Amino acid sequence: MEDFLYFFTFQDPSITWVVMGITLLGIGSAYVGTFSFLDKKALLGDAISHAVLPGICLGFVLAGEKDPRYIVTGAFLSGALATFLSSWLKQNTKLSEDSIIASILSIFFGIGIVALTALQKSGNPEIAGLNSFIFGNAIGIAEADLFLYGGLSLAILLVLSLFLKEFRLMVFDPGFGKAIGFPMKGIRFIFNVLLILAVVIGIQAIGVVLMAALLITPGAAARFWTDRLQPLLLLAAFFSILSGILGTYVSFVVPQMPTGPWVVVFLSLIALISFIFSPKSGIIKRFIARRSYLNKTHRDHLMKALFKAREVNQGSMTLEEIYALYPFHKKEIAHSLQLLTRQGLVIQDSQGVQLSSLGTSDAMRIVRLHRLWEVYLNEFMNIAPDHVHESAEQMEHLLTPELEALLEQRLNYPALDPHQETIPRESHDL
Amino acid sequence: MITQVPHPVLEVHDLTVSYDQHPVLWNVDLSLPAGQLIGILGPNGAGKSTLIKSIMGLIQPTSGYIKIFDKPLPDVRSRISYVPQRESVDWNFPASVLDVVVMGTYGKLGLFRRPGKKEVQIAQDALDQVGMMAYSKRQISELSGGQQQRVFIARALAQQADLYLMDEPFAGVDMATETAIFQLLQDMARAGKTVLVVHHDIHSAMNFFEWCIMLNLHLVASGPKDQVMTEELLRKTYGGKLNLLTQVTDLIRKQDFNPLKR
Ligand SMILES: Nc1ncnc2c1ncn2[C@@H]1O[C@H](COP(=O)(O)OP(=O)(O)OP(=O)(O)O)[C@@H](O)[C@H]1O
Ligand SMILES: [Mg+2]
Repeated sequence: MEDFLYFFTFQDPSITWVVMGITLLGIGSAYVGTFSFLDKKALLGDAISHAVLPGICLGFVLAGEKDPRYIVTGAFLSGALATFLSSWLKQNTKLSEDSIIASILSIFFGIGIVALTALQKSGNPEIAGLNSFIFGNAIGIAEADLFLYGGLSLAILLVLSLFLKEFRLMVFDPGFGKAIGFPMKGIRFIFNVLLILAVVIGIQAIGVVLMAALLITPGAAARFWTDRLQPLLLLAAFFSILSGILGTYVSFVVPQMPTGPWVVVFLSLIALISFIFSPKSGIIKRFIARRSYLNKTHRDHLMKALFKAREVNQGSMTLEEIYALYPFHKKEIAHSLQLLTRQGLVIQDSQGVQLSSLGTSDAMRIVRLHRLWEVYLNEFMNIAPDHVHESAEQMEHLLTPELEALLEQRLNYPALDPHQETIPRESHDL
Repeated sequence: MITQVPHPVLEVHDLTVSYDQHPVLWNVDLSLPAGQLIGILGPNGAGKSTLIKSIMGLIQPTSGYIKIFDKPLPDVRSRISYVPQRESVDWNFPASVLDVVVMGTYGKLGLFRRPGKKEVQIAQDALDQVGMMAYSKRQISELSGGQQQRVFIARALAQQADLYLMDEPFAGVDMATETAIFQLLQDMARAGKTVLVVHHDIHSAMNFFEWCIMLNLHLVASGPKDQVMTEELLRKTYGGKLNLLTQVTDLIRKQDFNPLKR
């Protein structure tokens, strides 16, 4: 407990530094790793991280000590050589990609281990530190080294956010990217450089053997929770930071404990939890679905009110008028208003609140669904016009575009609902 | 039956294309007029996709060249729009329908610039044109095959180009939608755009195309619909195997080098 407090209250500035380093490293590798996971290139990351070992040894030999600049450069170069070799072999032989990657991984790692063993026999006292590159030791990183690793992480983040659109294209549809004249080969090259850098910055904290887990697992775990790229990246970064810090904590508390394996243990735990509780498996899903359904109903109601104001030729509504309509849901409506404004569906100015052109078509759809459902209940289920509103009030949030098309077809595109109000379809229906 | 036109939008000059060893397009030489809806017809494996990909510069031809708007491709890239076959991408990628259509604006945006309100509006309009507005926020993996195809068409529309190349855009699209989109393409042609469509249904090809290209490893015909959609030429395109060409291809494949390459 004492250790826990000591660690997490950051009294020790060196702990603060390490945690900051791990955080930057976690974000960088999670971002890059998520892209290569989506690109189905997870194996390549694993090969690169094993392949940097000979370069680490070479850097050590050249510097004669554990100089991080030499080691990072050596690691980067041997990672780059492995990447280049694997794409060259793929282009110029008929070997399958996974056998190429597996051979490169084992050959480079084998050479690395041989070199490491030879160095250990050489009797250089500095050699002890070199072992930490196998399984990682976050606590052992010197402050000066942290600046190098942290700086590289920042550079990765910067380049990634600059190239977000290009990397998205590279993963989803590189052929289209090439067709519109983007230099896809160059973009792939930059991505590979980032991937190697992401491995290199992690080798001291996590170690070459397990670095691939830090690249791939956060994205894979986050994929259980979301279907959108941006939230996916953020969540992956969060998972990565969390397990990075926890792993560092364990290796701080237990002497001689390497960091990498513990980071992986926590990552696996997160992945397992994601697998069990994710929206796709349904436990938390229902809770979230209900929340987001309720939020959607509030937004829909607000847009409907604004649309109806337009229908009676009242340009915009004041906030008071809106709140008066929903006296029991002021807070929710205020929140919805904020969200809709941010999405560009609603415009607020000095005169009040009104729909944007984008918002108008969304709102029109809600009103259309409402009125179509009323017609359906009235015509096909023989329910009296004054009894159809309640059900339509619920169905308007639920009906899918497919059902809408079906309704339109069955009802033969009716012009009016049972209350003689226009069913809006084009903007001139306003 | 190959009609050449003066001042063509697209000129394909003596194009031969090979994969590894074997050639799949032999000496295709054609020119196309502006402002027309043009069909590319031919059996499976005829080289239709290969022709489109070579025009887009995605495949390096073995010999011959292509000029668009009388210029080489790199000068006019932003004026050309491309719809690949739907199977060419992974639809499990985390993106919404709108995200994919916005990609159509990337070409004009160029590198590094992020899409903004204007690009989103262009994408929304394109979605509206293919009748997919209501799906704009949906995850792309949750679309049916025909809907995915329509998303690709919308992405092409969002490119706001002058020449459209579409590789089987109607595969898996229902009849009503096909007709509606064909009419949209006709309107675009009338507005001066040139639209090339790889298509498999001879019946609707008869109805909608003004100009047809018929392909089966070599160019069988290229010209106004009335002149080329004859029984004889159709039989030449689809009927029987092109025994000789296929055998020559096999022969070349057995060599250790490609004798057609210069
Ligand atoms: N990447 C490739 N590598 C080797 N051969 C290829 C490749 N792509 C196509 N081919 C071959 O080239 C020939 C023409 O293919 P292409 O895809 O252009 O035909 P297509 O007319 O578009 O057919 P489909 O109607 O089936 O789409 C085929 O025989 C095919 O086997
Ligand atoms: Mg094809």
